[in-house]
This record gives sequence, C-alpha cells and structure tokens, in this order.
Amino acid sequence: MTDSYLNAVNAGFTKTLAKKLGLPQPAVLRRYEPGAPLVPGPVLVVGGTPGVHDDADDVAAALLRWDLDVRQAPADASERWGAVVVVLTGAERPGDVSQAVLAVAGHLRSLARGGRVVVLSRAPGDDDAPAIAATRQGVDGFVRSLAKELRGGATGNGVQLTAGAQVGDPAVLAALHFFLSAKSAFVDGQLLRVGDGPAWDASGFDWSQPLAGRVAVVTGAARGIGAEVARTLARDGAKVVVVDVPAAGEALTAVANEIKGTALQLDVTADDAGARILEHARARHGGLHVLVHNAGILRDKLLANMTPEKWDAVIAVNLESQLRITEHLLEVGGFSETPHVVSLASTSGIAGNRGQTNYGFSKAGVIGHTRAHARLLAPLGGTANAVAPGFIETDMTASIPLVPRQVARRASSLQQGGQPIDVAEAIAFLASPGTTGISGQVLRVCGQNLVGA
Amino acid sequence: MTAPAGTRVEILAEVPALGRSFARGAAGSAVDAARRTLPGAPGGLALPEVAYRVEHVATDLPDVAARLAAYRRVVGEPPPTGPVDHLPAGFLHVLGFPVATALMVRGDFPLPLVGLVHLANAVTLTRPVALGETLRVTAWAENLRPHRRGVQVDLVTEVATSGETAYRGVSTYLAKGFTLPDDVTAAASSGTDDRRETFVAPVPTARWRLDAGTGRAYGAVSGDRNPIHTSALGAKAFGFRRAIAHGMYTAARALAEVGPARGDAYDWSVEFATPVLLPGTVDVAITRGPAGFDYVGWDARHGRPHLTGTVTPRA
Amino acid sequence: MAPRNPAQPSPTPGQPTGGLRDAVIVGGNRVPFARAGGKYSRSSNQELFTAALEGLVARFGLQGERIGEVVGGAVLKHSRDFNLVRESVLGSSLSPQTPAYDLQQACATGLEAVVTIANKIRLGQVESGIAGGTDTVSDAPIAVSEGLRRALLEASHAKSAGARVKAFTKVRPKDLAPLTPSTDEPRTGLSMGEHQAITTARWGITREAQDALALASHQHLAAAWDSGFFDDLVTPHRGLVRDQNLRADTSLEKLGGLKPVFGTRLETAPTMTAGNSTPLTDGASAVLLASREWAAQRNLPVLARVVDAETAAVDYVHGHEGLLMAPAHAVPRLLARQGLGLEDFDFYEIHEAFASTVLTTLAAWEDDEYCRTELGLDGALGSIDRERLNVNGSSVAAGHPFAATGGRIVATAAKLVAARAAQTGRPARALISVCAAGGLGVAAVVESAGGVEPTATTTTTSTETEA
Repeated sequence: MTDSYLNAVNAGFTKTLAKKLGLPQPAVLRRYEPGAPLVPGPVLVVGGTPGVHDDADDVAAALLRWDLDVRQAPADASERWGAVVVVLTGAERPGDVSQAVLAVAGHLRSLARGGRVVVLSRAPGDDDAPAIAATRQGVDGFVRSLAKELRGGATGNGVQLTAGAQVGDPAVLAALHFFLSAKSAFVDGQLLRVGDGPAWDASGFDWSQPLAGRVAVVTGAARGIGAEVARTLARDGAKVVVVDVPAAGEALTAVANEIKGTALQLDVTADDAGARILEHARARHGGLHVLVHNAGILRDKLLANMTPEKWDAVIAVNLESQLRITEHLLEVGGFSETPHVVSLASTSGIAGNRGQTNYGFSKAGVIGHTRAHARLLAPLGGTANAVAPGFIETDMTASIPLVPRQVARRASSLQQGGQPIDVAEAIAFLASPGTTGISGQVLRVCGQNLVGA
Repeated sequence: MTAPAGTRVEILAEVPALGRSFARGAAGSAVDAARRTLPGAPGGLALPEVAYRVEHVATDLPDVAARLAAYRRVVGEPPPTGPVDHLPAGFLHVLGFPVATALMVRGDFPLPLVGLVHLANAVTLTRPVALGETLRVTAWAENLRPHRRGVQVDLVTEVATSGETAYRGVSTYLAKGFTLPDDVTAAASSGTDDRRETFVAPVPTARWRLDAGTGRAYGAVSGDRNPIHTSALGAKAFGFRRAIAHGMYTAARALAEVGPARGDAYDWSVEFATPVLLPGTVDVAITRGPAGFDYVGWDARHGRPHLTGTVTPRA
Repeated sequence: MAPRNPAQPSPTPGQPTGGLRDAVIVGGNRVPFARAGGKYSRSSNQELFTAALEGLVARFGLQGERIGEVVGGAVLKHSRDFNLVRESVLGSSLSPQTPAYDLQQACATGLEAVVTIANKIRLGQVESGIAGGTDTVSDAPIAVSEGLRRALLEASHAKSAGARVKAFTKVRPKDLAPLTPSTDEPRTGLSMGEHQAITTARWGITREAQDALALASHQHLAAAWDSGFFDDLVTPHRGLVRDQNLRADTSLEKLGGLKPVFGTRLETAPTMTAGNSTPLTDGASAVLLASREWAAQRNLPVLARVVDAETAAVDYVHGHEGLLMAPAHAVPRLLARQGLGLEDFDFYEIHEAFASTVLTTLAAWEDDEYCRTELGLDGALGSIDRERLNVNGSSVAAGHPFAATGGRIVATAAKLVAARAAQTGRPARALISVCAAGGLGVAAVVESAGGVEPTATTTTTSTETEA
C-alpha cells in the first residue's frame, strides 16, 4: 500500500508546493536495514551529574559497548545528533528534571532526520511518595508532548524502570536499543515499563540475529501484518511456523517458502488448535519459544445491528482462540524455556471505535489476558505482551474510503500510516531474548495517533 | 495361375493407368446400358477369355514406399515390425486393382463399369509379400452368374513373386438390372438383403468416426477416385445422399484392426451390405472365433449392417 | 529409532520384504481439483504441478532441499512440456539441483510414479523423492490436423521460399480446424465411457448401484473436508479452496434424474450418467517419499510405507476384457505375492473412473467363474467390506485430473492408515488400485509405519547464542 501524498511531499515540485501551502509534511521514516548504523549520528546522553558516577554514566558505557559515538558534554554545537538519551532515573522532585530537560532543548534543532529521543525514568508506583509520584508521572506527559514536537521522522519514547530494575539490566538496554533503532520507526510517544528480569548475558549477543535458534509460531501469517511478522522473525534468525486457515493456504505457502519456514493450515478456533500447533512445532523444529497471536478478523456493525454470527466470530477468532491455545500450551508444559507470547491488540481496544463493539471487546480482552498471562508465564522466565497497531497500510485499511483514510493517516505525530513491518519489528523485539523484564505491556505502534493517545 | 481353361494371357507392358480406364469405362457403360440382357448363356461364354498380366511390377521404388506409408496412415495399418516390410493384403489389392479394372473396360467385357456394385471380396494371402519384391500381377474375370437384382461376376487378381502365387483376390461385382438369358437361378441368390432384417447388433469393440474426407483420402492411396466416394455431388448423381466410403477401405481398416494376431499369411473376406455414408460413424465388433476373427460393422442408429467378414490366420 | 550417519544408510532391521529397506510416505499435497473450464481455466500443467510442489515444500520445510528425484507427468501434455516435471522443479523452492523426469501411464501416472520412487528408495538409489502428476483439460494442448501438420513439417524442411509456399498449397480449408484432444482409446475409437458402458452391461451393474456409490463418494468427500482431513493434504490454488466438483447436497433423487450419457448405442438400457461418472477435471498432486533415515534426520513424519505394487494390462482391443478391468487382474497377483487375502485391509482405495468401474471390479472378484477362467484363481477372490471402501470419497466426487489422481489417493491412504494405527495401536493397511486407459491398471499396498521419529539432534535451544 503506498501513500502517494507522502511520496509527493518528499520530492520535487510538489515538495516545494506543500511547504509553501503549509500542508502536513510527513517524513520518510528511517527503517531497519541490516548493516546500517543503529542511529544516524552521535548519541548525546544528558541527565548525568558531572563528577558523580550515576545512571547516565552507566547508560553511556552501555551505548559505547554498542560501538556508538557517545557524548555527555557536547563540545560542538553544530553536531547533528543521531539520538538524545535523557536519563531521569534519579529525579525525585519535579525540579530535578529541569536541568536535563533544558539541556535537551538546546539540541533538538540539531537532531538528525530519523533521530531519536529516549527518556529513561522510573515508573510511578502505587506506593510512591507524592513528590516522587508526581515527578515520575510528569515524565510521562513530557515524553508524549515532546514526541509531538519532533519533526523529520524523529521519535520520542520512554523507558520506565519499575522497582528493582537498573539501567544496566538487559531488558532496559534491549528497550533502549529498540527505541534508538530504526525498528521503532512508527513507535512514537510511548512509554514502556521494564522490570528486573532474570539475568541475561548479553555479551557477544548478535543483535542482527536476535532470534537465532528460536522456534516461533505466527498465526494469521498468510498475509498482511502476520506475513510481515513471520518474515521479520525469520530475518532475525527464528525458525518460523506459519499458521493460517486452510483457505488461505496458497498465500501461506508462499510466505513459508519465502522464509524457509513450515506451513500449518489450521483454523485457530478449532478445539485442537493448540495441540496441533504444539505437535508441529515440537516434532518438526524441536520446541516452541515464540508464539505470536496475530490471527484476527473484522466484522464491523453498529451494536444496534449486531448479529450473533458477527459478534461470536470476532470473539472466537480474536480472543477465544488466543486464550485456548495459550491455555493448552501452559497446561501441557508445551512452551520451551523463556517463552515469549505476543498478541495483537489494537488502538480500538484502547480507545474504542464506532461500529467495532465486537472488535473493541476482543482487542481490549487481549490486553486483559496479556496481563494475566504475564503472571502465568513468569515462572517459566517467559513474557506476555501485546502490540496495538494504529493506522497501518494494509489491504484492510486500503479498503477505507479515500477521505477518512487520509484523515486517519495524518492524525498522528508522524502524519502518516505505519507499515506492517513496523508492527512486525515491535513484535520481534518483544519476542527476543533479553526482554524478559518486559511483560504484561501493551506497546502501541501508531505513530502517536491521536486516537486513544 | 488358376484361370479358367482356355483363357488367353495377354501381357501388358505396365500397369494401366486407372484414370484412363475409368474414362474408357464411363464411355463404354453408356453402350452397355442399352443392352440389359446379355447374349449367350452363363458359364463364361459371355466373359472375355483373356487374362491381363503385368510381368514386372516393381515395388522397390520410392513412390511405392511413400504410397504404402500413406495407405497405412489412412487405413490404420500398424507400422512394419521388422526389417522386412510386408505388404498388407489390402495394399496388394490396391496394386492389382488397375489391372482388373483394365479388363473390365475392354470392349468385350459384358458389364458396364459405371454402376457396378462391389458385393464381396475374398483374399487369400498364402505367404507374405515384401516391399521391394517384383510382382507379377494377373487378372481375369470368371463366374458370371445371376443375382437376385442382376448379374454378378468375379474379378480375380493374382500376385506372384519369384514365379509363385502369394496373393489371390476375388472381387465380386453386381450389375444391377441385368439378366442372363437363361435366368433360372436368379431368384435364389446371395442373401445380403435378408440378413438386414435379422441383424442384431453385437457388443461393439470399436467405433469409427469417418470424416467427409475419408473417401478422398482412400481414393488418393488406392487410385480409385470414383466420384461417389470423393464428392457429395458425384454421389448424388448415383442416387446417394452423400459420398460413400470405399467398401475396401472399411474392409482394409477391419483387417488392420485385427492387428498382429492375423499373422503373415491369412484369408480375408468381406461382404458388403449397406454403404457407409460420409461423414458417418460405424460401430464395429471384431471378435476372435475358434479359427480366426469375425468382424462386423454397422449403423447403430438404424440397426443396419454395413459389412461383415472374417480374417483367418493360415496355419 | 536411532539417527543414522547419513553417509552410510543401512537397511532398517526387522523389515520383512526381501532385505530391502523401507520407502515411507511422509505426506502429500495437492491443489483442490477444479472442473474443466473452472477456476484453473488459465492454469498450465506446469503452474498446477509447481503449485502442488510448493505446498509440499511449505508443509515439510523443504526449501532449498535437494530431493533425490521428482517423478511425475501429465496425460494431456504439450510437446513444449517435454521436461514438465524438471521445469516445475526449477520453478519451485526446491534446490535447483533436484533431478526430475517425466513419466506417463495414463490415469495411473501418479501411482506408477510413487511405485518408481519407492523402488529407488528401497534399493538405496535415492534417499527421498517426490511423486506426482498434473493434468488440465482446460489448458490442454491442441493439435493441428494431419494435413496442416504435414504441410508445416514440409515447409519447415523446405530449402526455398517457393518450396515453402508449395507445401501450403496442399492445405485444405478443413485442415485448418484444430484437433482437440480426445479421451477416445486410439485403438478402438470408443471413449472410455463407452468402453466402461460395455463392461457395465456385461456385468449387469444397475443404475441404482452406481448412483448409490456416487452419492457415497460425495458424502464421504464432503465429510472429510468438513472434518479437516484435507487440512494437511491440500493447498488452495487460485482462490479455489475445495474440490469444485464436490456436491455435498446431492441425493439419489438428483442423481437418478440425470440422463444416461454412455452406452446409449448399446442394445441394453444405458445406466451411466454424468452423475455417476468422473467429470473432466484440472489439478495436480505430489507425494513426498523417503527412507526412514532421511525423514528422521529432518524430523519429518512417517505415515506409511509402500509395501508392494503390481501393474496389469488386459486384452481389451477385441472385447475380450473390459478396458478398465486391469486392476481386477493386478490385485490378486499382488495379494498372492504378499500372502494377503482380499479381506486383510483396513481401507480400500479403488479409483472411481466411473462408479461402475468400482462395482464391476468388485463383482469380478466375487465371481467364481471369472476368477477361475480369467484370473487363474481357484475360485472367487472374495468380497470386501464396503464400509472400508473409499471412506473419504474418490474421483466421482473429487474429480479426476488424470495424472494427479494417484498422488491424491496415495496421500489419502497413507494418512488413513497412520491415523488408524495411532488409534488402535495395531498396524493398518490399505489397498490401492487405479485403472487406466490402454487396458492398464496399477495396484499397491501401503501399510502404517509409525509416527514421527524424533532424533537426538532435536534440540530445545536455549537463549544462549554463540559469539
């Protein structure tokens, strides 16, 4: 699906015209290419106190280990920053953040196209003292607002450390790595909570093959986002089992053969779906490490006109199937060690959408079971997370009439729709080792869409 | 040679051209048609007491080989199975036919060529004849006799190689409307017409779908380009609704479809009942009997037989 | 069983037949069969067979795999497709180093391909193979008339422009009409249906019995689809998801209302209709066969092993035997060699060229006189339990893209015996027979051969990754 407006405002005469007319100027987003640098320039780390070894120093050290050009005290004001990392983990009163925030301000205009601002802070907790709670919650508003000010495909996101987590933890660094990378191109204005996962030795970790040796199952993988998820997991080194209904077998075959995976034609709503998925993954690939619940359907109808068929089908495919399959795998101990379950939610499940009571129920339900599954998977060292796509350019959104489609596209900070790859990258990130401290979360891939923001 | 006693053998320098014979036959037929009662008595008196012979009919010429290949394609004869290419009996018939025809267009032959009906054919192939051998072809007429609907006569063609007869074909023709002066036996004659009423179609083993060009195709390989076979218009002139297949084409096809089981030497006979209109479909049954093969071709829609015959391997 | 060194494949111990190792059926794939002129009206044989291969590759993760050999064919084949199977392999995700060749035995092409590959595996000549077939009547080659063909050949050999022009002067208008392929037997000019109508009449098979068998075929096939039996045997193609000919809602009343189309020129009343005959169909199928070692090394399932096969031919040309009766001859020979009785099977897969083909075959085996005189047996071969016959439907319902039928049946039979064995804990066995044009017939026995054989190389990889 191409966004011809986006293409037009980024080239030639139409670019000049759009500028003169003051039309939205969505940028061509920086997306992952193997071998490309993690960020498009040096990284500025702010928030540290000179002369004191603090979290900012640890973060800078971690970034150096990724062979990045890291600065803490910028000498050259004309530098085009690839990213600015703001470390606010030590802030306990609102006044503590001003120095760092204002330091960022001076460099925002120097941020490269596709640059990144990532804020590391501590997550507000129920037991926080009022000042701490205010400070930590304040970061939330800061990040969301800052993200809306960034231009040129740059994004702003936050990593919120929950109690016990340290900036050097693998999951914190994995989240930081993701937000800095081109893989988070369409993730904007989001705050991801990271806890203290089990120890994970990241030394020597091949960031280009994060899923090497892992077996992944992707449902609804014949086309659209599911197919892209399968490709991305395979790109990252996973052996992928692609699952879709038998009727979609032709497209499923093409995906399987493209990524050297195996195809399993299966209706996820079947009683034995979990058993058959497990049997296939185990017998053919020796295990099951990653499960991506992607299969989903739309049967839009105003509730006043809703039929049992439309309601029940959506609930069965989008929600019940996920519950049953995961339940079966947990019951029979089907997951291999440190499993990652990632489910597709939707912004409709967060903000609601007219004509989508069934879909909204199912997607909000996904968010609900994700939290519960996070708890159940924790003993296995596993995680459960959800990804909520916003407006993504797929065959499905291509069917939306022109004007609403253009409105929906521009209604985000990035002023464009996302690509299936953007959702896939988020899922691949949440499926990768080292993210064990991230669980029960909903990561929105929406370009900071106004809906449900 | 077993021609009737007293037959004089007249040697021809070469095989007569069929076209010229036909032209002559057409002209002579008008004269013959004027005299419907034949002079003399049955027993050979009326037939010319002459046999035509061509001493050296070469078959080692390229055009004979090409014609043989075309013949095989048209009648469905299988390709040769060994280094020696044996001529199918139907092809020997084709080679001998012009000699017999030349005899039939002689001024003293009592029946008109035009309008003769081929009633039956009986061939004895006592030993195989190979392509490349030089043939001696002899033909004469005998056994002029009454038929229920006219007068019938046998044209006998013999083919010899190295001085020894290998093939003998007897073609029986009917001249309708003619009577012999001493016609006492005319009523009791061959029963092809009777069989029509009692015909019960057997279980078919084959079906021939003959297109409109079948007559032209067989005419091209046999040389018999009689208009009743090659054009609908020509056939209409003789009272047929459409062109009709050569009887010998249908018999030759049946012989071909008996296949290798017929052996190198065999007897092959056919009796023709109703003609096959072209284009047309013939249901066929070729069945193995105790001594050899029986075949019958019929019109399944009208339940009428076209031809019946036998192919009997010679032990 | 234990994994073996791939360089030194050795015979599997404990196998009864002649000291040869097993050839096992891993699984199969086909496209849904389409009615002639239907969904695949613009698909070529190569496209369909490639699609069947691609689905198989996807199911078993064979991308880039060098298979020992791919063998298959098409009955209606254009001369440009002389290397149809190899070309299909080159268009697939298999390794381009996978050898292939075309094989053709009319409707038995697919089954004969299975037998051929099984034999090579058993002899140790290959470790794996894919057998299959494809056919399309919608995209069938069209020949030119004999007259035009001769003229074209002559012109192409002509040495001058004049000679070339002269060659075409012999072409008559009627020569320009194309010749569409015919399913008539070349030697008799009778269509297969007419031949079978004669056999049907000879055995006195009733219209009612044929319609009942046709109904069962549709009902069984529909039930198999509904139960998901074909989920791992079929991959949709060009939007066709199920066999297009399947009429789940047909009934004896509907079938009984159809007019006979074959045998209408016979003296006996005709009984064969479009409903109890196989329609012209497009489709393709493929079956993956392997040695046990090869399958185990790749963690592939083992559904069944190919026990034995027998091909027979009958003298049908002059009506001595029915055109499609060869399986009646092949099966007793096969059973005798294997020391089996007709009753020793859990499943019978008898290809439904026509409903009456199955019924005449069964009637023949029950006929004492016929079995003595024609089959050389001491008496009737016996009866089968009709509940075990074509339990998931057969060609009357699914359709019959000639060369693709063998692969359909073998994969179905293999899955059936595997499931039965898993259910009962005892080996299960299926008898397969396919009749073919030219008086040919192929019969085969497949037997359950154990489930997935895990190997020691199966790992449950941890998150540790080597530097």
